Amino acid sequence: MLLPKIIAKIENKFSNSILDTTKFAGEDIIHIKSSSILEILKLFKNNGFNFLADMTAIDNLTLGGFERFSVVYHLLSHETAERVTVKAYVPEDEPELPSAESLWKTADWQEREIYDLFGISFTGHPNLIRIMNPDDYNGHPLRKDYPRLGNRERDNFPKVTRGINKDYFNE
Amino acid sequence: MKQDDIKSNILTTTLESAVNWGRKHSLWPMPFGTACCGIEFMGVMAARTDIARFGAEAVRFSPRQSDLLIVAGRISLKMMPVLIRIYEQMPEPKWVISMGACASTGGVFDTYSVIQGVDKFIPVDVYVPGCPPRPEGVVEGLILLQELVDKEKFSDYSTTLKK
Repeated sequence: MLLPKIIAKIENKFSNSILDTTKFAGEDIIHIKSSSILEILKLFKNNGFNFLADMTAIDNLTLGGFERFSVVYHLLSHETAERVTVKAYVPEDEPELPSAESLWKTADWQEREIYDLFGISFTGHPNLIRIMNPDDYNGHPLRKDYPRLGNRERDNFPKVTRGINKDYFNE
Repeated sequence: MKQDDIKSNILTTTLESAVNWGRKHSLWPMPFGTACCGIEFMGVMAARTDIARFGAEAVRFSPRQSDLLIVAGRISLKMMPVLIRIYEQMPEPKWVISMGACASTGGVFDTYSVIQGVDKFIPVDVYVPGCPPRPEGVVEGLILLQELVDKEKFSDYSTTLKK
């Protein structure tokens, strides 16, 4: 069991940074403050959890939580096949988090996706641009307060009419 | 040449209908397949329904060589400028078939990222409903389009230069 040792280390080094520990479907979830997330992830990486299996985010607007957003890191240990979920809570007024790209290269695109869909920016990211939506897109679609049909982004395209534009010749 | 021979060998018509006859029997499709309708369109091309019977077998993947744009599949927000560009690259005269529910109305994808019907941005001649439509449905749409082409007038395309 890698986890109890790591939790003890975190509490020793960064006091009060663990908000809660829960368990769901046999898997441990560590809820932490976002302030020293990079150091905590480094601790996880150096103590067995060497693989970032997935990275995503949650908008807690309707769910309720410690903060508006939580960025979720799914970590896996290749040696012991243990899994752990780390949830870092990000406030609404300043959605910013240090990038984990320096620890795991796979965080590069995952963080771009989170930036695109949730508007959480990652400091220290090498190339933080939108990954799926157009570059000039307005809004972050997976936020719960984003309207389902969008902010009228589709209205800006040119409308093509049939045949030759006769006004062009008559002018 | 005997007079009877001339009678049975000469057909009088208008230039308009002769040209339209040629156009409607040589529609060269440009498939814009983005989803499962694109797979169904391969079925339309294949032996059982075989749209070569209607002169539409020359599928071109260059818009410059085709005159029938078949929008097969959902068009996302990011894809619509591409579709508009491809439509504008096609030479006149050109026609558009909107194949399937997604291309016509957005279908089940009632979200911010999917265009709710390509006819909001480009003119569409024939809508083929279905999810995806049966190959027979696409053939029906093609026949409808041929009827449309047959009724076209030169004046639809002509312009007068005032200078």
